[in-house]
Amino acid sequence: MLTVVSPTGTWSAEIIGRLPRVLILYPYDERIPATNIAGETARARLLEATQGKIDLFSEFLDLSRFPDDVHIDRMARYLSEKYVEHQPDVVVALGEESTRFISQNRHRIAPEAKIVFAGFSAETAAGLNLPDDVVGAFTEFDIGKTFEMAIRLQPNARRLVVIGGSSKFDEAWIANARVNLPAVTGGVETTYLTGLSIDEFVEHAARLTPDSILIVLTVFVDRSGRNFIPQASLEMIAEAAAAPTYGPYSTYLGRGVVGGNTVTFESMGSSVADLAIDAIAGKTISDVEVPHTYVADSRQLERWGLPESALPAGTVQSFEESSIWADHWQAITGGIGVLAMQGLVIAGLLIERRKRQTAETQSQLHLLEAVHLNQSATAGALSASIAHELNQPLGAIRSNADAAEILLRSDTPDLKLIRQIVADIRDDDQRAGDIIMRLRAMLRKRSEIDWQEFDLNEAIGGALRILHAEAARRRVEVTSNYAATQLPVRADRVHIQQVILNLATNAMDAMLDVVSPERKLVFQTALTREAKVELSVSDTGCGIPGERLATVFEPFYTTKPTGTGLGLAIARTIIETYGGRIWADNRPEGGAVFRFNLPLAQGLQ
Amino acid sequence: MTPVIHIVDDDASFRTAVGRLIEASGFRVASYVSGEDILERLPSAEPGCILLDLRMPGLSGADLQDHLVQKAPLLPIIYLTGHGDIGATVRAIKAGAEDFLEKPASAEDLLEAIRRALLQNGKRRSEHDRAHALRGLVANLTPREFQVFDLVVRGKRNKQVAFELGTSERTVKAHRHAITEKLGVNSLAEMVTIAERLGLIESRQSASSSP
Repeated sequence: MLTVVSPTGTWSAEIIGRLPRVLILYPYDERIPATNIAGETARARLLEATQGKIDLFSEFLDLSRFPDDVHIDRMARYLSEKYVEHQPDVVVALGEESTRFISQNRHRIAPEAKIVFAGFSAETAAGLNLPDDVVGAFTEFDIGKTFEMAIRLQPNARRLVVIGGSSKFDEAWIANARVNLPAVTGGVETTYLTGLSIDEFVEHAARLTPDSILIVLTVFVDRSGRNFIPQASLEMIAEAAAAPTYGPYSTYLGRGVVGGNTVTFESMGSSVADLAIDAIAGKTISDVEVPHTYVADSRQLERWGLPESALPAGTVQSFEESSIWADHWQAITGGIGVLAMQGLVIAGLLIERRKRQTAETQSQLHLLEAVHLNQSATAGALSASIAHELNQPLGAIRSNADAAEILLRSDTPDLKLIRQIVADIRDDDQRAGDIIMRLRAMLRKRSEIDWQEFDLNEAIGGALRILHAEAARRRVEVTSNYAATQLPVRADRVHIQQVILNLATNAMDAMLDVVSPERKLVFQTALTREAKVELSVSDTGCGIPGERLATVFEPFYTTKPTGTGLGLAIARTIIETYGGRIWADNRPEGGAVFRFNLPLAQGLQ
Repeated sequence: MTPVIHIVDDDASFRTAVGRLIEASGFRVASYVSGEDILERLPSAEPGCILLDLRMPGLSGADLQDHLVQKAPLLPIIYLTGHGDIGATVRAIKAGAEDFLEKPASAEDLLEAIRRALLQNGKRRSEHDRAHALRGLVANLTPREFQVFDLVVRGKRNKQVAFELGTSERTVKAHRHAITEKLGVNSLAEMVTIAERLGLIESRQSASSSP
């Protein structure tokens, strides 16, 4: 029996017996820093709160490049199938698009899951008509607080200039500022600069007097229709500005702003993770607001001669190192003589550690690259079978449609038959879609290992579905004897399936010269006494020459004219990465048997 | 009689869909799940053709083709094949496949191939009928007349035939007359054609070459 205690309480009774599952939905692709920072922070927080006893899943919905309904429907269908056996307990939706996606498709993907979200305001949420039980951490920017920071740093300022661009988003920001700033600006004269080109913004900023405060909201688009990443337009303006510049985003730091009040993507991530943790613990959760943070750039404070002491309490400063160096460089150089030796040793150790980390990261990257290469090779080898398999439903769809067309030409068409035809077309379309989905899952390139807990028997079943057509083509009889119990392992499922496919295609290749009724491929799984999960793949082929048993896993060992000699080497790397062992033997009755084992996933016996 | 199209494919939904298309186009359909299945329920003598998936588990396309050519020589085989099965295609054509269609085939291509195959079937049937009739005629010959016929179509002159059979040239002439009457032919050339069509000449020659 598994019980996990977290700092926030005990997990709810429903999920005792297995690890809680959390699915994090990213709205865009994997290169968008904002959602990545929020997501990574949420992951880290969830891992920390559960001491790693959690199954985390990530999906990138790519909704900015594929906003259409067809993609959304396809994605929902894909996720519903992918998670049918791994229903998440909580879905964390990052951003508006993810939230809309999951609240509209939750019945298909995760009907029982609690949904929490982050990344937009209560006002935006109201427009989404979310169900009552979907709660989130709202992002409410408070531009008044950015002004308050500025006026603390520049108490004598006479003038406030606010810049905003011409896109819808930019204009919404200006409207927000016009509503919220007057309450805090008091006697400071406020000018809103809008509807200008980027050059005009830069020119205005350059003509400001130093006793002014410049707040740049966002310029996604200027009057001439030029598009910008807001950081880039901000940087152009702040660089030329003759007065200190402020802004409401942490991403503006280092681009020329003194600072501002913001909602960081990190705090967004940890706020929504906290909601998820409470939801898993079975607590009642309700909407929260992501805490605000003051951020400031030490170098900009120095550039404008603004006193650090005037910063609001709790301000997070960046680039502090360089300012300490600049302020105290004499004292530091004095001390350096004494510390030099010690420092060198420490620096040496740090560099060593860094090198090792880099090497580890690199070797993992190489593994992922090699696996991907191998995936492509396997898919290439199986492509004729896959094309054939795909042609079955496609051919059926075509013939059904042609038949319906002919039937409709009749004066009294058989509507019952035509209805059946339409239903069959839909089924075959689903079948074709499933084949493509399997292929894509097999080919998908990973940037990191996707740790999951899964049943090895089930993973073999998935690999067999991919192999089925190829085995039939080669007239190989495939049988599988599964252990009676589930065999949970913790690894990247796609990688393990890759190993299974590798061993199976090798075995089939080894049986090319055997007459067809004797071509037999047997999968057998077992739980060993040492609490290891073991799979054996035996064939009735020509076996392995005794002296080569030990070297078949070496890179570039191959007996096939077109082989790369990397398949088994990669298989060994994969299995060893997940704490297992792989080895080969000859069967006394002829043929070879390949075996690998993996540790039984902990806590679930 | 409406021709019967025999569909052999292990994929149920494909079989059903193609069957519907063919039925809607006015033919009768018989479906089989495997090569073994069609060999067991071998088609009767009705007009028709066979639509065969080249890649099925069990009996291979080539093996099945051999069996079918032996057991149902009148039914032309249309192969359905996946893209790029060049090797298998060549093998099947050498073994006498009537036609090839790549999956997924359009209705026009499929029906056109079926029509061609049925024409071919018609030709084979009438040829078969003719051969059957000729065999009947030849069966009417007395054993002695058959001996004379067999030697004459091998290019033996009357004198040689008489020598081989140990009889007179006049008797041989009388037999030849009876043979032309019974077979309804007018010349030696026509007799040779009949013998060829029935495979008599070839089969005798190959038989004599083995001990």
